[in-house]
Amino acid sequence: MSGILKSTLIMAMVAFIASFALSHINNITQPEILKQEKEKQKAALKAVLPGYSIKEIKTAPADDSDFQYWIAEKAEDENIVNGYAFITEKPGYSGTVKTMVGIDNSGRILGISILQQSETPGLGARSVEISSTGTFFGALFGSSDKTERKIKAWFQEQFEGLDSGKPIEILKKGDWNESMKQELTEKNAISAITGATITSRTVKDSIEAGIKKLNKIIQEEKTTAEVPE
Amino acid sequence: MNRLNDVTKGIWEKNPILVLGIGLCPTLAVTTSVSNALWMTLATSFVLIGSNILVSLIKNFVPSHIRIAIFITIIASFVTIVELTLKGFQPEVYKSLGIFIPLIVVNCIILGRAEEFASKNTVFRSILDAIGMGLGFGLTLTVLAFFRETLGANKLFGYTLIPGMKPALAMILAPGAFFTLGLMLWAMNAIKSRKKDKANGN
Repeated sequence: MSGILKSTLIMAMVAFIASFALSHINNITQPEILKQEKEKQKAALKAVLPGYSIKEIKTAPADDSDFQYWIAEKAEDENIVNGYAFITEKPGYSGTVKTMVGIDNSGRILGISILQQSETPGLGARSVEISSTGTFFGALFGSSDKTERKIKAWFQEQFEGLDSGKPIEILKKGDWNESMKQELTEKNAISAITGATITSRTVKDSIEAGIKKLNKIIQEEKTTAEVPE
Repeated sequence: MNRLNDVTKGIWEKNPILVLGIGLCPTLAVTTSVSNALWMTLATSFVLIGSNILVSLIKNFVPSHIRIAIFITIIASFVTIVELTLKGFQPEVYKSLGIFIPLIVVNCIILGRAEEFASKNTVFRSILDAIGMGLGFGLTLTVLAFFRETLGANKLFGYTLIPGMKPALAMILAPGAFFTLGLMLWAMNAIKSRKKDKANGN
Protein backbone atom coordinates (compact mmCIF):
# COMPACT_ATOMS: atom_id res chain seq x y z
CA MET A 1 0.00 0.00 0.00
CA SER A 2 2.74 2.43 0.94
CA GLY A 3 4.45 1.54 -2.35
CA ILE A 4 1.50 2.72 -4.37
CA LEU A 5 1.23 5.88 -2.31
CA LYS A 6 4.90 6.68 -2.76
CA SER A 7 4.76 6.10 -6.51
CA THR A 8 1.67 8.26 -6.81
CA LEU A 9 3.27 11.07 -4.86
CA ILE A 10 6.46 10.97 -6.91
CA MET A 11 4.57 10.87 -10.19
CA ALA A 12 2.36 13.76 -9.07
CA MET A 13 5.39 15.76 -8.06
CA VAL A 14 7.13 15.22 -11.40
CA ALA A 15 3.96 16.20 -13.26
CA PHE A 16 3.54 19.27 -11.06
CA ILE A 17 7.10 20.48 -11.64
CA ALA A 18 6.79 19.84 -15.38
CA SER A 19 3.54 21.80 -15.69
CA PHE A 20 4.91 24.61 -13.57
CA ALA A 21 8.00 24.97 -15.74
CA LEU A 22 6.03 24.70 -18.97
CA SER A 23 3.48 27.31 -17.95
CA HIS A 24 6.35 29.74 -17.45
CA ILE A 25 7.87 28.93 -20.84
CA ASN A 26 4.44 29.36 -22.36
CA ASN A 27 4.08 32.79 -20.77
CA ILE A 28 7.37 33.88 -22.27
CA THR A 29 6.80 32.54 -25.77
CA GLN A 30 3.06 33.13 -26.23
CA PRO A 31 3.25 36.87 -27.04
CA GLU A 32 6.03 36.16 -29.57
CA ILE A 33 3.98 33.44 -31.24
CA LEU A 34 0.93 35.70 -31.50
CA LYS A 35 3.08 38.49 -32.87
CA GLN A 36 4.52 36.19 -35.52
CA GLU A 37 1.07 35.09 -36.64
CA LYS A 38 -0.19 38.66 -36.83
CA GLU A 39 2.83 39.76 -38.80
CA LYS A 40 2.42 36.90 -41.20
CA GLN A 41 -1.18 37.83 -41.83
CA LYS A 42 -0.27 41.48 -42.25
CA ALA A 43 2.44 40.65 -44.76
CA ALA A 44 0.04 38.38 -46.64
CA LEU A 45 -2.62 41.11 -46.76
CA LYS A 46 -0.08 43.55 -48.11
CA ALA A 47 0.95 41.08 -50.79
CA VAL A 48 -2.57 40.25 -51.97
CA LEU A 49 -3.93 43.81 -51.79
CA PRO A 50 -1.05 45.99 -52.97
CA GLY A 51 -1.74 49.69 -52.48
CA TYR A 52 -4.95 49.17 -50.55
CA SER A 53 -5.62 50.05 -46.96
CA ILE A 54 -7.70 47.73 -44.83
CA LYS A 55 -11.04 49.14 -43.77
CA GLU A 56 -12.83 46.27 -42.11
CA ILE A 57 -12.38 42.69 -41.04
CA LYS A 58 -15.50 40.58 -41.23
CA THR A 59 -16.48 37.05 -40.51
CA ALA A 60 -19.49 35.50 -42.13
CA PRO A 61 -20.95 32.14 -41.24
CA ALA A 62 -20.45 29.79 -44.18
CA ASP A 63 -21.45 26.19 -44.86
CA ASP A 64 -18.61 24.43 -43.08
CA SER A 65 -16.53 26.95 -41.17
CA ASP A 66 -16.52 30.68 -40.66
CA PHE A 67 -15.49 32.67 -43.68
CA GLN A 68 -13.11 35.48 -42.85
CA TYR A 69 -12.72 38.38 -45.24
CA TRP A 70 -11.34 41.88 -45.38
CA ILE A 71 -12.71 44.97 -47.07
CA ALA A 72 -10.06 47.39 -48.23
CA GLU A 73 -10.09 50.61 -50.18
CA LYS A 74 -7.81 52.62 -52.41
CA ALA A 75 -8.08 56.08 -53.92
CA GLU A 76 -8.06 55.91 -57.70
CA ASP A 77 -8.75 58.94 -59.93
CA GLU A 78 -10.53 60.77 -57.15
CA ASN A 79 -12.74 57.76 -56.57
CA ILE A 80 -12.48 55.28 -53.80
CA VAL A 81 -12.45 51.74 -55.05
CA ASN A 82 -12.94 48.68 -52.92
CA GLY A 83 -10.82 45.59 -52.77
CA TYR A 84 -11.47 42.35 -50.96
CA ALA A 85 -9.29 39.72 -49.42
CA PHE A 86 -10.33 36.40 -47.96
CA ILE A 87 -8.90 33.19 -46.60
CA THR A 88 -9.91 29.98 -48.28
CA GLU A 89 -8.83 26.39 -47.79
CA LYS A 90 -9.13 22.94 -49.31
CA PRO A 91 -7.45 19.61 -48.62
CA GLY A 92 -4.43 19.18 -50.87
CA TYR A 93 -2.25 16.13 -51.45
CA SER A 94 -1.30 15.97 -47.77
CA GLY A 95 -3.10 18.24 -45.38
CA THR A 96 -5.00 21.46 -45.80
CA VAL A 97 -3.77 24.18 -48.12
CA LYS A 98 -4.77 27.60 -46.81
CA THR A 99 -4.61 30.52 -49.19
CA MET A 100 -5.27 34.23 -48.89
CA VAL A 101 -6.68 35.84 -52.01
CA GLY A 102 -7.09 39.49 -52.91
CA ILE A 103 -9.47 40.66 -55.62
CA ASP A 104 -10.48 44.10 -56.83
CA ASN A 105 -13.88 45.58 -57.57
CA SER A 106 -14.16 44.03 -61.01
CA GLY A 107 -13.24 40.55 -59.80
CA ARG A 108 -9.67 40.62 -61.03
CA ILE A 109 -7.30 38.68 -58.80
CA LEU A 110 -4.73 41.04 -57.33
CA GLY A 111 -2.60 38.44 -55.69
CA ILE A 112 -2.62 35.25 -53.67
CA SER A 113 -0.53 34.10 -50.75
CA ILE A 114 -0.41 30.52 -49.55
CA LEU A 115 -0.49 30.74 -45.76
CA GLN A 116 -0.28 27.11 -44.82
CA GLN A 117 0.56 23.90 -46.64
CA SER A 118 2.24 20.60 -45.90
CA GLU A 119 2.66 19.29 -49.42
CA THR A 120 5.49 17.05 -50.60
CA PRO A 121 8.88 18.77 -50.54
CA GLY A 122 10.20 19.19 -54.07
CA LEU A 123 6.73 18.80 -55.58
CA GLY A 124 3.66 20.42 -54.05
CA ALA A 125 5.72 22.44 -51.60
CA ARG A 126 7.16 24.27 -54.59
CA SER A 127 3.91 26.25 -54.55
CA VAL A 128 5.56 28.44 -51.91
CA GLU A 129 9.09 28.16 -53.23
CA ILE A 130 10.75 31.36 -54.29
CA SER A 131 13.04 30.66 -57.22
CA SER A 132 16.39 32.09 -56.31
CA THR A 133 18.48 33.52 -59.09
CA GLY A 134 21.65 32.96 -57.13
CA THR A 135 23.46 29.62 -57.16
CA PHE A 136 25.20 27.90 -54.26
CA PHE A 137 28.67 28.57 -55.61
CA GLY A 138 27.64 32.13 -56.34
CA ALA A 139 26.52 32.61 -52.76
CA LEU A 140 29.65 30.91 -51.48
CA PHE A 141 32.00 33.18 -53.37
CA GLY A 142 29.82 36.26 -53.07
CA SER A 143 29.34 36.71 -56.80
CA SER A 144 25.59 36.24 -56.93
CA ASP A 145 23.75 39.45 -57.59
CA LYS A 146 21.49 40.24 -54.72
CA THR A 147 19.48 42.95 -56.41
CA GLU A 148 17.41 40.43 -58.36
CA ARG A 149 16.00 38.75 -55.27
CA LYS A 150 12.43 37.79 -55.83
CA ILE A 151 9.93 37.88 -53.02
CA LYS A 152 7.10 35.95 -54.61
CA ALA A 153 6.79 32.32 -55.59
CA TRP A 154 6.20 31.92 -59.33
CA PHE A 155 3.26 29.62 -58.77
CA GLN A 156 1.47 32.29 -56.75
CA GLU A 157 2.57 35.17 -58.93
CA GLN A 158 0.85 33.79 -62.01
CA PHE A 159 -2.59 34.19 -60.43
CA GLU A 160 -2.18 37.96 -60.52
CA GLY A 161 -4.42 39.59 -63.09
CA LEU A 162 -6.65 36.56 -63.72
CA ASP A 163 -10.37 37.14 -64.05
CA SER A 164 -12.15 35.43 -61.18
CA GLY A 165 -15.48 35.74 -63.00
CA LYS A 166 -14.39 33.15 -65.56
CA PRO A 167 -13.19 29.66 -64.76
CA ILE A 168 -9.44 29.39 -64.29
CA GLU A 169 -7.77 26.85 -66.56
CA ILE A 170 -4.80 24.72 -65.58
CA LEU A 171 -2.21 24.12 -68.29
CA LYS A 172 0.78 21.84 -67.98
CA LYS A 173 3.53 24.01 -69.28
CA GLY A 174 6.14 23.53 -66.61
CA ASP A 175 7.68 26.28 -64.55
CA TRP A 176 6.23 29.68 -65.20
CA ASN A 177 8.27 32.37 -66.87
CA GLU A 178 7.68 35.79 -68.38
CA SER A 179 7.26 34.47 -71.93
CA MET A 180 4.20 32.42 -70.93
CA LYS A 181 2.46 35.38 -69.41
CA GLN A 182 0.59 36.49 -72.52
CA GLU A 183 -0.76 33.08 -73.42
CA LEU A 184 -1.83 32.37 -69.86
CA THR A 185 -3.59 35.70 -69.48
CA GLU A 186 -5.43 35.18 -72.76
CA LYS A 187 -6.64 31.75 -71.65
CA ASN A 188 -7.25 32.88 -68.06
CA ALA A 189 -4.99 30.03 -67.04
CA ILE A 190 -2.13 29.07 -64.77
CA SER A 191 0.70 26.66 -65.36
CA ALA A 192 0.64 23.71 -62.95
CA ILE A 193 3.65 22.66 -60.92
CA THR A 194 5.26 19.68 -62.64
CA GLY A 195 4.37 16.50 -60.75
CA ALA A 196 2.03 18.33 -58.39
CA THR A 197 -1.17 18.74 -60.34
CA ILE A 198 -3.22 17.95 -57.23
CA THR A 199 -1.68 20.84 -55.31
CA SER A 200 -2.12 23.19 -58.26
CA ARG A 201 -5.74 22.15 -58.65
CA THR A 202 -6.40 22.45 -54.91
CA VAL A 203 -5.22 26.05 -54.86
CA LYS A 204 -7.23 26.89 -57.96
CA ASP A 205 -10.38 25.17 -56.66
CA SER A 206 -10.13 26.79 -53.25
CA ILE A 207 -9.78 30.21 -54.86
CA GLU A 208 -12.83 29.64 -57.02
CA ALA A 209 -14.85 28.36 -54.07
CA GLY A 210 -13.76 31.33 -51.96
CA ILE A 211 -14.71 33.82 -54.64
CA LYS A 212 -18.13 32.24 -54.92
CA LYS A 213 -18.64 32.58 -51.18
CA LEU A 214 -17.43 36.17 -51.19
CA ASN A 215 -19.70 37.17 -54.08
CA LYS A 216 -22.65 35.62 -52.32
CA ILE A 217 -21.93 37.48 -49.11
CA ILE A 218 -21.44 40.80 -50.89
CA GLN A 219 -24.68 40.25 -52.78
CA GLU A 220 -26.55 39.52 -49.58
CA GLU A 221 -25.13 42.59 -47.93
CA LYS A 222 -26.20 44.76 -50.82
CA THR A 223 -29.79 43.49 -50.74
CA THR A 224 -30.08 43.96 -47.00
CA ALA A 225 -28.61 47.44 -47.30
CA GLU A 226 -31.04 48.45 -50.00
CA VAL A 227 -34.17 47.30 -48.23
CA PRO A 228 -34.94 49.53 -45.28
CA GLU A 229 -36.17 47.81 -42.16
CA MET B 1 36.84 4.27 -17.58
CA ASN B 2 37.69 6.06 -20.77
CA ARG B 3 35.56 9.22 -20.75
CA LEU B 4 36.30 10.00 -24.37
CA ASN B 5 34.72 6.73 -25.36
CA ASP B 6 31.41 7.92 -23.86
CA VAL B 7 31.31 10.55 -26.57
CA THR B 8 32.83 8.73 -29.52
CA LYS B 9 30.79 5.53 -29.18
CA GLY B 10 27.70 7.50 -30.20
CA ILE B 11 29.31 8.54 -33.44
CA TRP B 12 30.63 5.23 -34.73
CA GLU B 13 30.50 2.11 -32.59
CA LYS B 14 26.97 2.67 -31.28
CA ASN B 15 25.68 5.18 -33.82
CA PRO B 16 21.99 5.47 -32.90
CA ILE B 17 20.73 5.22 -36.47
CA LEU B 18 23.24 3.07 -38.31
CA VAL B 19 24.02 0.59 -35.55
CA LEU B 20 21.25 0.70 -32.95
CA GLY B 21 18.62 1.32 -35.61
CA ILE B 22 16.57 3.75 -33.52
CA GLY B 23 15.25 7.21 -34.33
CA LEU B 24 14.60 6.29 -37.95
CA CYS B 25 11.37 8.25 -38.28
CA PRO B 26 12.88 11.77 -38.22
CA THR B 27 15.90 10.43 -40.11
CA LEU B 28 13.81 9.50 -43.10
CA ALA B 29 11.38 12.39 -42.86
CA VAL B 30 13.30 15.60 -42.31
CA THR B 31 16.40 14.95 -44.39
CA THR B 32 15.04 16.73 -47.45
CA SER B 33 17.44 19.60 -46.85
CA VAL B 34 20.66 20.08 -44.92
CA SER B 35 19.29 23.00 -42.93
CA ASN B 36 16.30 20.90 -41.84
CA ALA B 37 18.68 18.15 -40.74
CA LEU B 38 20.82 20.59 -38.75
CA TRP B 39 17.84 22.14 -36.97
CA MET B 40 16.45 18.70 -36.20
CA THR B 41 19.82 17.71 -34.74
CA LEU B 42 19.91 20.82 -32.60
CA ALA B 43 16.38 20.25 -31.30
CA THR B 44 16.91 16.55 -30.62
CA SER B 45 20.30 17.08 -28.98
CA PHE B 46 18.86 19.72 -26.66
CA VAL B 47 16.10 17.35 -25.56
CA LEU B 48 18.58 14.47 -25.28
CA ILE B 49 21.06 16.38 -23.12
CA GLY B 50 18.31 17.85 -20.93
CA SER B 51 16.56 14.57 -20.36
CA ASN B 52 19.81 12.67 -19.75
CA ILE B 53 20.84 15.20 -17.08
CA LEU B 54 17.49 15.10 -15.28
CA VAL B 55 17.09 11.35 -15.50
CA SER B 56 20.54 10.68 -14.08
CA LEU B 57 19.91 13.25 -11.32
CA ILE B 58 16.70 11.64 -10.13
CA LYS B 59 17.63 8.02 -10.84
CA ASN B 60 17.83 7.15 -7.15
CA PHE B 61 14.40 8.50 -6.23
CA VAL B 62 12.43 6.94 -9.05
CA PRO B 63 10.61 3.69 -8.24
CA SER B 64 11.49 1.36 -11.08
CA HIS B 65 7.91 0.42 -12.01
CA ILE B 66 6.90 3.99 -12.85
CA ARG B 67 10.22 5.08 -14.36
CA ILE B 68 9.04 5.04 -18.00
CA ALA B 69 6.13 7.36 -17.18
CA ILE B 70 8.46 9.75 -15.39
CA PHE B 71 11.06 9.67 -18.18
CA ILE B 72 8.41 10.41 -20.79
CA THR B 73 7.07 13.32 -18.73
CA ILE B 74 10.57 14.80 -18.57
CA ILE B 75 11.19 14.24 -22.29
CA ALA B 76 7.81 15.68 -23.28
CA SER B 77 8.50 18.78 -21.18
CA PHE B 78 11.77 19.42 -22.98
CA VAL B 79 10.14 18.85 -26.35
CA THR B 80 7.41 21.35 -25.50
CA ILE B 81 10.07 23.89 -24.56
CA VAL B 82 11.74 23.36 -27.94
CA GLU B 83 8.43 23.55 -29.77
CA LEU B 84 7.30 26.79 -28.14
CA THR B 85 10.69 28.42 -28.53
CA LEU B 86 10.96 27.56 -32.21
CA LYS B 87 7.39 28.67 -32.85
CA GLY B 88 8.02 32.01 -31.22
CA PHE B 89 11.51 32.81 -32.39
CA GLN B 90 12.20 30.68 -35.48
CA PRO B 91 8.79 30.38 -37.19
CA GLU B 92 10.34 29.44 -40.55
CA VAL B 93 12.17 26.50 -39.00
CA TYR B 94 9.06 25.47 -37.13
CA LYS B 95 7.10 25.56 -40.36
CA SER B 96 9.51 23.38 -42.29
CA LEU B 97 9.98 20.78 -39.54
CA GLY B 98 6.28 20.83 -38.70
CA ILE B 99 4.92 17.76 -36.97
CA PHE B 100 8.40 16.27 -36.46
CA ILE B 101 9.16 18.67 -33.60
CA PRO B 102 6.40 17.32 -31.30
CA LEU B 103 7.29 13.82 -32.53
CA ILE B 104 10.72 14.10 -30.89
CA VAL B 105 8.88 12.84 -27.78
CA VAL B 106 8.62 9.40 -29.34
CA ASN B 107 12.12 9.41 -30.78
CA CYS B 108 13.50 6.16 -29.38
CA ILE B 109 17.01 7.59 -29.09
CA ILE B 110 15.98 9.80 -26.19
CA LEU B 111 13.96 7.30 -24.18
CA GLY B 112 16.49 4.63 -25.11
CA ARG B 113 19.42 6.61 -23.73
CA ALA B 114 17.46 7.57 -20.59
CA GLU B 115 16.65 3.93 -19.93
CA GLU B 116 19.92 2.34 -21.00
CA PHE B 117 22.47 4.91 -19.93
CA ALA B 118 21.33 7.91 -17.90
CA SER B 119 19.37 5.89 -15.34
CA LYS B 120 22.51 3.89 -14.53
CA ASN B 121 25.33 6.42 -14.76
CA THR B 122 26.54 9.70 -13.28
CA VAL B 123 25.36 13.09 -14.53
CA PHE B 124 28.71 13.87 -16.13
CA ARG B 125 28.88 10.62 -18.06
CA SER B 126 25.23 11.03 -19.11
CA ILE B 127 26.00 14.44 -20.58
CA LEU B 128 28.93 12.97 -22.53
CA ASP B 129 26.71 10.15 -23.74
CA ALA B 130 24.03 12.61 -24.86
CA ILE B 131 26.56 14.75 -26.72
CA GLY B 132 27.97 11.68 -28.47
CA MET B 133 24.56 10.36 -29.43
CA GLY B 134 23.52 13.81 -30.62
CA LEU B 135 26.64 14.05 -32.78
CA GLY B 136 26.10 10.59 -34.22
CA PHE B 137 22.48 11.37 -34.99
CA GLY B 138 23.40 14.75 -36.47
CA LEU B 139 26.23 13.45 -38.65
CA THR B 140 24.08 10.69 -40.10
CA LEU B 141 21.24 13.11 -40.78
CA THR B 142 23.53 15.68 -42.37
CA VAL B 143 25.21 13.20 -44.71
CA LEU B 144 21.83 11.77 -45.69
CA ALA B 145 20.36 15.24 -46.23
CA PHE B 146 23.42 16.34 -48.21
CA PHE B 147 22.93 13.58 -50.79
CA ARG B 148 19.17 14.01 -50.91
CA GLU B 149 19.24 17.76 -51.30
CA THR B 150 22.05 17.90 -53.88
CA LEU B 151 20.78 15.00 -56.00
CA GLY B 152 17.05 15.38 -55.41
CA ALA B 153 16.63 19.13 -55.56
CA ASN B 154 19.90 20.28 -57.17
CA LYS B 155 20.37 22.55 -54.18
CA LEU B 156 22.47 23.07 -51.10
CA PHE B 157 21.25 25.23 -48.21
CA GLY B 158 18.46 26.37 -50.53
CA TYR B 159 20.78 27.62 -53.28
CA THR B 160 20.77 26.11 -56.75
CA LEU B 161 23.90 24.09 -57.49
CA ILE B 162 23.94 23.73 -61.26
CA PRO B 163 21.58 26.17 -62.95
CA GLY B 164 19.22 24.56 -65.43
CA MET B 165 19.85 20.93 -64.47
CA LYS B 166 16.82 18.75 -63.71
CA PRO B 167 17.24 17.00 -60.35
CA ALA B 168 16.48 13.32 -59.70
CA LEU B 169 13.13 13.83 -58.07
CA ALA B 170 12.98 10.37 -56.46
CA MET B 171 15.85 11.32 -54.16
CA ILE B 172 13.83 14.01 -52.39
CA LEU B 173 10.85 11.67 -51.96
CA ALA B 174 10.62 8.78 -49.51
CA PRO B 175 12.41 6.23 -51.75
CA GLY B 176 15.48 8.48 -51.91
CA ALA B 177 15.70 8.43 -48.13
CA PHE B 178 15.60 4.62 -48.06
CA PHE B 179 18.14 4.27 -50.87
CA THR B 180 20.60 6.63 -49.26
CA LEU B 181 20.18 5.17 -45.78
CA GLY B 182 20.67 1.68 -47.22
CA LEU B 183 23.85 2.71 -48.99
CA MET B 184 25.14 4.34 -45.82
CA LEU B 185 24.45 1.17 -43.84
CA TRP B 186 26.25 -0.86 -46.49
CA ALA B 187 29.25 1.48 -46.45
CA MET B 188 29.46 1.36 -42.67
CA ASN B 189 29.25 -2.41 -42.50
CA ALA B 190 31.77 -2.79 -45.31
CA ILE B 191 34.28 -0.65 -43.43
CA LYS B 192 33.60 -2.53 -40.21
CA SER B 193 34.03 -6.00 -41.70
CA ARG B 194 37.19 -4.94 -43.49
CA LYS B 195 38.61 -3.76 -40.17
CA LYS B 196 37.60 -7.03 -38.56
CA ASP B 197 39.24 -9.07 -41.32
CA LYS B 198 42.41 -7.11 -40.88
CA ALA B 199 42.37 -7.67 -37.13
CA ASN B 200 41.83 -11.38 -37.65
CA GLY B 201 44.55 -11.61 -40.27
CA ASN B 202 47.14 -10.09 -38.01
